[in-house]
Amino acid sequence: MTSTVPRPTVTRRIDERINPSTKERFGSALSDNRVGLVVLIALLVVAIGSARPTFWNPQFVMGPMLTNIAIYSVVGLSQMAVLSIGQMNLAVGGMAATGGLGAAIALDHGAPLVVGMVVGVIAGAACGAVCGLLVTRADVNSFVVTLAMSFALLGLVPAVYGWVSTGAAITVDTPGLAELGRWTTANLCLGNTCGPAGVPLLLFLSIATMVVVAFGYARTRVGRETLLTGSSAQAALLSAIPVGRRVTSVHALSGALAGLAGVMLGASTGSFTPSIGQEFLIPSFLGPILGGTLLVGGYVSVLGTSLGIALTVLIRQGLLLFGVGIEGLNILLGSVLLLALCTDRIRDVMSQRSRLRASLQGVPASEPSSEGKVAA
Amino acid sequence: MTTTTSSPWALEVRAVSKAFPGVRALDAVNLRLAPGEVHALLGENGAGKSTLIKILTGIQTADTGQILVGGTERVFHSAHEATAAGIGAVHQERNVVTAFTVAENIALGNTPTRHGRVDWRAVRDGARRVLDMLDFRIDPDTPMNRLSPAQTQLVEIARGLYADSAVLLLDEPTASISDNESGLLFDVVHRLTDQGRAVLFVSHKLEEVFAHCRTATVFRDGRSVAEAVQLADVDRDTVVDLLVGRTLAKLDVPDRAPDRTSTPAIELRGVETERGHRSVDLSVHRGEIVGLYGLVGAGRTELAHALLGLDKITGGEVRVSGEVVRIKDVGDALSRHRIGYVTEDRKAEGLFLDQTVARNLTVTVLGQLSNRWGVLRRKAARVAADEYIDSLDIRVSSRDQIVGQLSGGNQQKVSLGKWLAARTDILVIDEPTVGIDVRTKGAFYRLIWDLADQGKAVLVISSDLAEMVTLVDTIAVMQDFEVTGHVANTHDYDEMSKAVIRLVHRTSENVA
Repeated sequence: MTSTVPRPTVTRRIDERINPSTKERFGSALSDNRVGLVVLIALLVVAIGSARPTFWNPQFVMGPMLTNIAIYSVVGLSQMAVLSIGQMNLAVGGMAATGGLGAAIALDHGAPLVVGMVVGVIAGAACGAVCGLLVTRADVNSFVVTLAMSFALLGLVPAVYGWVSTGAAITVDTPGLAELGRWTTANLCLGNTCGPAGVPLLLFLSIATMVVVAFGYARTRVGRETLLTGSSAQAALLSAIPVGRRVTSVHALSGALAGLAGVMLGASTGSFTPSIGQEFLIPSFLGPILGGTLLVGGYVSVLGTSLGIALTVLIRQGLLLFGVGIEGLNILLGSVLLLALCTDRIRDVMSQRSRLRASLQGVPASEPSSEGKVAA
Repeated sequence: MTTTTSSPWALEVRAVSKAFPGVRALDAVNLRLAPGEVHALLGENGAGKSTLIKILTGIQTADTGQILVGGTERVFHSAHEATAAGIGAVHQERNVVTAFTVAENIALGNTPTRHGRVDWRAVRDGARRVLDMLDFRIDPDTPMNRLSPAQTQLVEIARGLYADSAVLLLDEPTASISDNESGLLFDVVHRLTDQGRAVLFVSHKLEEVFAHCRTATVFRDGRSVAEAVQLADVDRDTVVDLLVGRTLAKLDVPDRAPDRTSTPAIELRGVETERGHRSVDLSVHRGEIVGLYGLVGAGRTELAHALLGLDKITGGEVRVSGEVVRIKDVGDALSRHRIGYVTEDRKAEGLFLDQTVARNLTVTVLGQLSNRWGVLRRKAARVAADEYIDSLDIRVSSRDQIVGQLSGGNQQKVSLGKWLAARTDILVIDEPTVGIDVRTKGAFYRLIWDLADQGKAVLVISSDLAEMVTLVDTIAVMQDFEVTGHVANTHDYDEMSKAVIRLVHRTSENVA
């Protein structure tokens, strides 16, 4: 009995490269939760807009709401960055506060707007890098490290504010800051035509940030290696990916984005205070998770994160218009987070099931054994 | 214990099947275990023994088939149900709670209670009883983390005895304990069978099997190729044939004559590591395939890890093309020394299961596939992925298929392909064909021969002797973190197995 190993046959393989059927494509579009988010957001906008016409007021409702979406999208990206390697950043708020503080001090000393913003981003990135180094070098869980960092910053940031300024806030009048924070497209005029009043300039900064982050993850070597690290750190290590460096830099990126969000919030309110970032933590998780970013790492969705944030802010705004109190708001936002976590888990299980099913179909049916069985 | 006595079997497994993503672990296997006998379950790595044990102990459920305990059909949904039905087990992996004491671990899951509270006296007495059976003198209150691996294994065995099971499953219980200790274990085993209990003994050590078991079942590639053979009627060679399957040994082996006169591509001289390797000498020339054979736990994978900078090398020297080198990490090994490492555990270490085939194949060459600003050239990446999908004949629906959906053989091809893409000069391949069906194995061997013919130095790590005899040019044998010798491969299985087994046992004889 000689074994016959079949020669590799290229033709057979090509035959098996069947295009996914339209039904499958339709199914995958439905399971893509970004589509669901867009539909949900559209429905809510129509519903709230028709029930409460003040919703469309550019100055008091639409403008502030889009400003919030702009800022919280960046907060969501900050969390999404660490989620991409299956870790988390509980110090987004603290890092945002640090970013705001850094920018405020620089601007207070007469730095131009751009320099101040860069200082703020770097301050946030530095906090993130410290977390990243602790995670990789000391091999401590990111949960613990960032929790400790958030407590440290909770004390440190107000202390520094008190030290550099007499009040607990820093207000600067750097040229351009107010424009960046509070102008809308209505202020941008070309001749006699001006943009709509409800669209804040911060939204464009936010979109630019999203484009850069999305490009980084989708198209660059570092982004790809980061996602692979999130997919399996052990496999990444054994595939010659510098895992430690990727983990550290992704924490730094998270800090930088949080710092930017802090600067944006300071610019929009007109003053920098220690309370910047206090409400960032829960939305930072809501956005990415609703948007389909996996908690276990390896997959991110920048657009999804922003849509998730948009939905959260929209719900909040809608409830405010209907006069629901702050307690009701928090209950609802908590429920939305729980729901999002459940969907994350369900998605996980579903994809594992489909993987199992697909592989079972791939295993050849048991062929009759050519060797005789030995029986007693 | 069951009350039904209609069945002559204490435990019967009928046509049980179980599939995992990418592999059919069990394919309609049968097993019959009579009361009062020690029955051996034999099979190579990945043959499905441990899967069956997990099904019998309720850790996993069978996809199809029946399990009868004392004639009554049972389906176990949890380990607790299996224990309650009278099946006790000693698992291959150590499942102890290191923060607990010896007694607590032994009683775990069956902790005696009184008025809803733990009866600590009964826990200690019960532990003492089974420890005495094993003649294992240790205070039951000793914390587990103070115990050596061998002592831990003895506690595992004690735990299996504690439940007073009608059927006791022993999954490689002697892998990490001394001959003396295993002698005691077998005394206990025979005492138990004298009381009418049935014992299923899983082992790689054929000596033990022939010395202590009456009957045997042999698994190969998830099927039971021999059922309830009387071991008195067969000799060792027959069993080995059943285990490895002669089909493999008959694969047409090419005439290979690697040139060993040049400087070795990689050479280890007196290497010592933090993990305990001592004076390891090993060299692989360009175009040569060297096999590193050893039993599980002999230190082969650990040596590969040390070579790649994942563990520390504390002594001796590593030379790449004649030059002494210090390898910091896998990236260093790849970029500076052109060494690739195909891992043993492809699921956990070799592949990104939830990523696409293309992303997996290009992971080692992302640097070459991106421009100077670090932006990936997508077309080049697609071309590179397709090249290896074609040349390795990986069966995929598209390059964007998720790797986790592929069969075991195709997954292994992806795992190998990513290192071929890196075009390294030296390739370390750890257990190339574990969990892969026989025919794909043949294709893999051809591929590895081709790689050597292209001038690569290949080091194959395997605990499959038939594979070694078929595939490699020279077999280096490792035992207890030492290379005990080298054998030039004649491709004659009987001759080679004798030579290799002699080397495996050399260190233990030296010590004795």
